[in-house]
Amino acid sequence: MAITRRTLLGTGTAAAATALYAPSLRAQDPDRIRAAFAAGGPRKVDPNWTTQGADNWATEQMFEQLVRPPNGQFGQRPEDFEPYLAESWSASDDARTWTFQLRQGVQFHKGYGEMTSDDVVASFERAMTEGTSVSIYQNIKSVDASGPYEVSISLTNPDPLFLGAIVFSNNVSVVSKKALEERGEDFQTDSIGTGPYQLDKFDIEKGIYLSRFADYWGEPAKIEKIDILYIADTTARTLALMSGDVDMIEGVRAPGWVPSIMAQNPDLLFDMTAPGSFNTLFFNLLREPLNNIKVRQAIAHGINKEEIVQALAPMSNISYTLNPPHYPTGFELEELPEELRYEHDPDKAKALLAEAGFPNGFSIRVNTSQREDYASQHLIIQEQLRAIGIDIDLNIMDHSAYHADNRKDLNTLPINSSSLPPIPLDVYNRYASSNAEVKNDGSGGTNYAHYGVVIPGVDDKLSAMLQATSFDDYVSIGREVELQIQRDLPMLGLPTLSYTVVRNPRLDIGYEVKGGYARWRLDKATFVD
Amino acid sequence: MAKYLAIRLLDAMPTIVLVLTLVFIAMRILPGDPALAALGDMALPEQLAMYRERMGLNDPLWLQYINFVKGVVTLDFGTSLITDVPVIQLLKNNITHTIELTVVAVLMGLVLGIPLGVLAATNRDRAPDSAMRVYALVGYAIPDFYLGAILLIVFSLNLGWFPINGVGEGFWDRMHHVFLPALTLALLKSAFLGRLTRTSLLEVMGRDYIRTARAKGARERRVVYRHGLRNAMLPLSTGIGLSILATLSGSVAVELVFNRPGIGRLLVTAIHERDYPIIQAGVVVFAALVVLVNLMVDLVYALVDPRVRVSS
Repeated sequence: MAITRRTLLGTGTAAAATALYAPSLRAQDPDRIRAAFAAGGPRKVDPNWTTQGADNWATEQMFEQLVRPPNGQFGQRPEDFEPYLAESWSASDDARTWTFQLRQGVQFHKGYGEMTSDDVVASFERAMTEGTSVSIYQNIKSVDASGPYEVSISLTNPDPLFLGAIVFSNNVSVVSKKALEERGEDFQTDSIGTGPYQLDKFDIEKGIYLSRFADYWGEPAKIEKIDILYIADTTARTLALMSGDVDMIEGVRAPGWVPSIMAQNPDLLFDMTAPGSFNTLFFNLLREPLNNIKVRQAIAHGINKEEIVQALAPMSNISYTLNPPHYPTGFELEELPEELRYEHDPDKAKALLAEAGFPNGFSIRVNTSQREDYASQHLIIQEQLRAIGIDIDLNIMDHSAYHADNRKDLNTLPINSSSLPPIPLDVYNRYASSNAEVKNDGSGGTNYAHYGVVIPGVDDKLSAMLQATSFDDYVSIGREVELQIQRDLPMLGLPTLSYTVVRNPRLDIGYEVKGGYARWRLDKATFVD
Repeated sequence: MAKYLAIRLLDAMPTIVLVLTLVFIAMRILPGDPALAALGDMALPEQLAMYRERMGLNDPLWLQYINFVKGVVTLDFGTSLITDVPVIQLLKNNITHTIELTVVAVLMGLVLGIPLGVLAATNRDRAPDSAMRVYALVGYAIPDFYLGAILLIVFSLNLGWFPINGVGEGFWDRMHHVFLPALTLALLKSAFLGRLTRTSLLEVMGRDYIRTARAKGARERRVVYRHGLRNAMLPLSTGIGLSILATLSGSVAVELVFNRPGIGRLLVTAIHERDYPIIQAGVVVFAALVVLVNLMVDLVYALVDPRVRVSS
């Protein structure tokens, strides 16, 4: 039979159409979780070297620490922590010596043998000498193996929050010493831990692929595989969830995003950490007129925090002090003296401005980041302060440039957003200590207010906190620090913003996410019909 | 011909050197701190200082520039500041996806655009011509990322015909994955190529040899395609070259929307992260591709029109 051009074209078109109508890609693997996060691609999967939140979703499944808080929570108090790779522990009365009895029979991934105290010592020692957070382990004097299954840690200063501040930190996740030595730098992308999932593949273009670890010491993970995928573009990520291509995605922290997603598919589930990131507005005390306390108080009264919460609902929660209300040193509104509440009161704000010599307000140039959460808050504040006569000339910048400029003291009213754990001293050391003062050569820290340098700050109280041997004493001094900051007003706590994950309702993660870092375990997850 | 090629290559060298220097300077005056981008907004000063030292960011600028140029000459672009992966490996992994997208998109653009242009030219001032004008207007106006998102919603999300993201494995799976992103770029390119084809063809169709061909009794189809379109190819080849370059640069947004690996996406991520070695290498690759495409266009010119060879 002769094949004419017409026949060929017709057959080709039909074949193409058939291919196009082939079953779609929505078939969902019942034994694989696909999760997509807002980043360009994986960087590293070694917990001592990760610098990207999305990568920590993989390390969270692959590694464990000696103790951990319950799933979906931050441990607030020492008694909140549960045994993991340590079965039990004890602290000396002065909170300077901590001894951990290790769980026996814990196996490392891929046949790297049983975890012993040598592995724990090696994991701590490398975090103290290399990695992304060397400086936070400076208080550790020594880590010693006092037996094959016992580790003793000595501290220079007492630390009643040692479990939450240090032991439950990513950098000291327990890794295999043998694998570290064997793999060298390759360990950063081919790591060996003890968690319920082990690394199958680290693909720098696509993602991180994990599979259930059969010899896990605890209850084995319920779902066989996890794919950690990277989709930086918001639209592409949202469409991937909507199409069923992935089971969960990182949300976008912008006004109206959650309601718009809910409107498209009301069945989707939202997991949110509280507080998530807490946002802080700094007053640069070296800049006029922000060096005037009345001006700072006027701004505080001019900002309507409830309005910010509503704009970012349901991801936002109110905060009255530097630490949010349910952190150990945070305050509820009614706990604060009335003059330190700074409730929204435009008339009072105008009166304070007049007293400060600005009856007609003033103009000020402020840099902000183009990232949704920063820009939204600064834009709302700009609008609110306009009502009391303060004209903010907002300069919206690339996110990286914004932070680099902040670090060079080039901003007047910077906002800083960070997902810090409930370790008050860490927060104060970063934001309020004179040691962390920002410097114009970029070598300083994140005390953008110059608090403790331009005006007396809270350094003496921070020293007292550092010497506290009991949790109650520590919290008591911390609450004095909060009140002092409220009085001096070098910075103002803004509403918090939850880290949000949107989930297909077929995926049940097995517990409720209430707080914690911006990552959570998926070993209890199951697919429901 | 070899001499012609050598001259063109030598012509391109100053351009490449200029691009190298400009991109190096641009990276250093761009606001932002690679150490801060790598370690996060809350990195402590000591952590940042250690990182800068380890990555050679404290070296004097002249030394960094010499190292950069040396690296380009030896095709060693260093390692990523963020991932420690050799940049050349990242480029190799990504460039195939960008070239795949560009080739498919340009072919689709040609298949769509040239017939549309011919149709418009042969129906001057009639309905097909007006339709082509509107199509071209829309094609010029619509942003590629927007068109990509619409195609994704319609054909991937609602109809489920195409994968929502990724690149696929194996030839047919790859073609299945590349179809929609390539169509996004092709629809926009076809507007440009269609308009160009129409203009070139109309100009050629008024020439004496076309009248002669018609007078000799050649069929209109033969007149248009053999005598008309062939001679209209010279300006069209410049247009195709420009279209390839525009497709390469347009691939940045499309790779992001369709979450495809590629040089564009690599570059955008690197810019966000201030990953100097990747940005420098990526720009160099783009510049080299521009030079290469221009060279190819020049060669096509020389092949199509012997006068070009003679004069050069």
